[in-house]
Amino acid sequence: MEDMYHADRAMSTQQDIKIKADKVQVYYADNHAIKDVDVEIADKTVTAFIGPSGCGKSTFLRCLNRMNDTIDICRVEGDITIDGEDIYDPKVDPVQLRAKVGMVFQKPNPFPKSIYDNVAYGPKIHGLARNKAELDEIVEKSLRKAALWNEAKDRLTAPGTGLSGGQQQRLCIARAIATAPEVLLMDEPCSALDPIATAQVEELIDELRQSYSVVIVTHSMQQAARVSQKTAFFHLGNLVEYDDTDKIFTNPEDSRTESYISGRIG
Amino acid sequence: MQSLTLPFIAIAGLAVLGYFLAKSRALQVSEGDIRKLVSLPSQHALNAVLATIVPAVAAILLISLYVRLTDGTGSWFFQFVVIGLAVTGLALSLIGIKTETRARTFAERWILGLLIFASTIAILTTIGIVFSMLFETFNFFGQYDWRDFFFSTNWSPNFRGNSDLGIIPLLWGTLYISFIALAFAVPVGLFAAIYLSEYAGPRMRSVAKPAIEVLAGIPTIVYGLFALITVGPFLRDYFAAPMGFGQSASSVMTAGLVMGVMLIPFVSSLSDDIINAVPQAMRDGSLGLGATKSETIRQVVVPAALPGIVGAVLLAASRAIGETMIVVLGAGAAARLSLNPFEAMTTVTVKIVSQLTGDTDFASPETLVAFALGLTLFVITLGLNVLALYIVRKYREQYE
Ligand SMILES: Nc1ncnc2c1ncn2[C@@H]1O[C@H](COP(=O)(O)OP(=O)(O)O)[C@@H](O)[C@H]1O
Ligand SMILES: [Mg+2]
Repeated sequence: MEDMYHADRAMSTQQDIKIKADKVQVYYADNHAIKDVDVEIADKTVTAFIGPSGCGKSTFLRCLNRMNDTIDICRVEGDITIDGEDIYDPKVDPVQLRAKVGMVFQKPNPFPKSIYDNVAYGPKIHGLARNKAELDEIVEKSLRKAALWNEAKDRLTAPGTGLSGGQQQRLCIARAIATAPEVLLMDEPCSALDPIATAQVEELIDELRQSYSVVIVTHSMQQAARVSQKTAFFHLGNLVEYDDTDKIFTNPEDSRTESYISGRIG
Repeated sequence: MQSLTLPFIAIAGLAVLGYFLAKSRALQVSEGDIRKLVSLPSQHALNAVLATIVPAVAAILLISLYVRLTDGTGSWFFQFVVIGLAVTGLALSLIGIKTETRARTFAERWILGLLIFASTIAILTTIGIVFSMLFETFNFFGQYDWRDFFFSTNWSPNFRGNSDLGIIPLLWGTLYISFIALAFAVPVGLFAAIYLSEYAGPRMRSVAKPAIEVLAGIPTIVYGLFALITVGPFLRDYFAAPMGFGQSASSVMTAGLVMGVMLIPFVSSLSDDIINAVPQAMRDGSLGLGATKSETIRQVVVPAALPGIVGAVLLAASRAIGETMIVVLGAGAAARLSLNPFEAMTTVTVKIVSQLTGDTDFASPETLVAFALGLTLFVITLGLNVLALYIVRKYREQYE
């Protein structure tokens, strides 16, 4: 464990910054939900957002792929850049952005289509495959990456909604991977899953780190400790503390962080 | 039914009397302290009212059914039985009032009985309709060959006998007009529903939805007038005549389009509910993959809602098939087998009406054919409704 920790430390220092947020404010009508958040999220790293319910974790996550644009009353201020490019620039098409920044939701939400069509959905929309053979290949590769290929390969034409909860969530991950994103956002991806499915998804998240920058919201501190290298603690819309996961859980600087991880607030 | 006036008045009077008697008796039993009572005085009163009304009214209905079936007349004996039941119910409930009487639970049982009774009436009526139709239809087929009815392409009733009563031209008119109506109403209604549920803001929605639903409240005779004086002449002068399709203002097209307008709220309001029932998570999932709004609607929302939409369309279809007024005024009353949509045609329902109006003799095939037509129509719409229900139910299972 100790070795791994140092290895991660060493890795993260040489990593590039993938996402940079600067003085981000989010309002839902008059409700100031995110206050002055600055954060730098590294590439090829799992970053966890933790904090009590309603503190704005999902809201901030949804800023990163502009999903908040779909909520009428929501207003975002400040700068968010991905690879140095301002994603709220008027020139940026949020639709294109969301292909680059994939998202996995709290409750598995496969479309009521076949497993194959679920995964092929994004590639078809964005024209990622020139022919059926290439599409087949993308589907297989995505399902393999999501550790679902062995279970699904014989039933690709069966409806995705017929899978178990854990399989459905891995299907949603495969679906997100299929559009070749650079960042994967996950909003409490395990909260609707049983412990075994949770363990499988966590293992998967750890592997996804090889290829993507992963941001995961979780209400489980154990989960944050298990899968992430960096952890951000949110409280009442503020980013209270952001540091290496081990530091946050062993030696937090802010007293609110300490209260939260020791179970006194939340 | 004159003989039933007295029992009804008597029952109503007894019920009112029972209400006050039960209330005062409950107070008297409690010796002024209602905390001693298991049930409140008003609950005793409700119990007394129900005990007076329910058995007596049930008896009235049974008796009138019996009188109708046996062709007898309601005698003083029946009135006596009915009033006797009401008095007995009242008396028993009054005697039963003691401090420990659980009038609340008794009232509960009467109410349950009332509800069961109400639902039985609805079911029995349906069965009754089917049987009366069946009965007359059998009479008809006793006098007229069923093969001629179902397969003859000629409809020309002749009240001196020797008529041709083929259903095919009428069914053709029915299906042709319904088809045009649906071809108009389904796309328009569906697009309106998609706009309302996916694009319109709350303010727009709160105005537009009721505005569309107003269409559903317009009596069909008013639609018929609209077809007769506006749509028909318009289609004739601007389409049929210049294009050489004929000179008729009454046409399949006129009736079909106006009926389509009538069906729009049907399709749009059902589809709107169904589209709204598609979980937001589906849309988020699709938008999160970088799909645009219309891609999401086309590829995720509508396919997910499709079974329900099909159900809505089938329900609209059975409305269209059963519609009469718009057809009479918009398409005329001439039975004809033709492909030209600008020609006058007519439908099964219109002919049912015309065979039963005027001087009729309920024994001739020319009149009885109306029942055979009605039953055929009933079977078709029933089939559509069953299909619609089946599809809608199957769709429900997907999300629960
Ligand atoms: N769609 C929305 N409309 C209005 N207010 C919202 C919406 N989503 C979240 N909020 C508000 O924003 C705040 C943060 O919510 P959220 O980001 O969901 O918190 P978390 O994910 O940390 O539990 C809460 O006060 C919540 O009420
Ligand atoms: Mg949340």
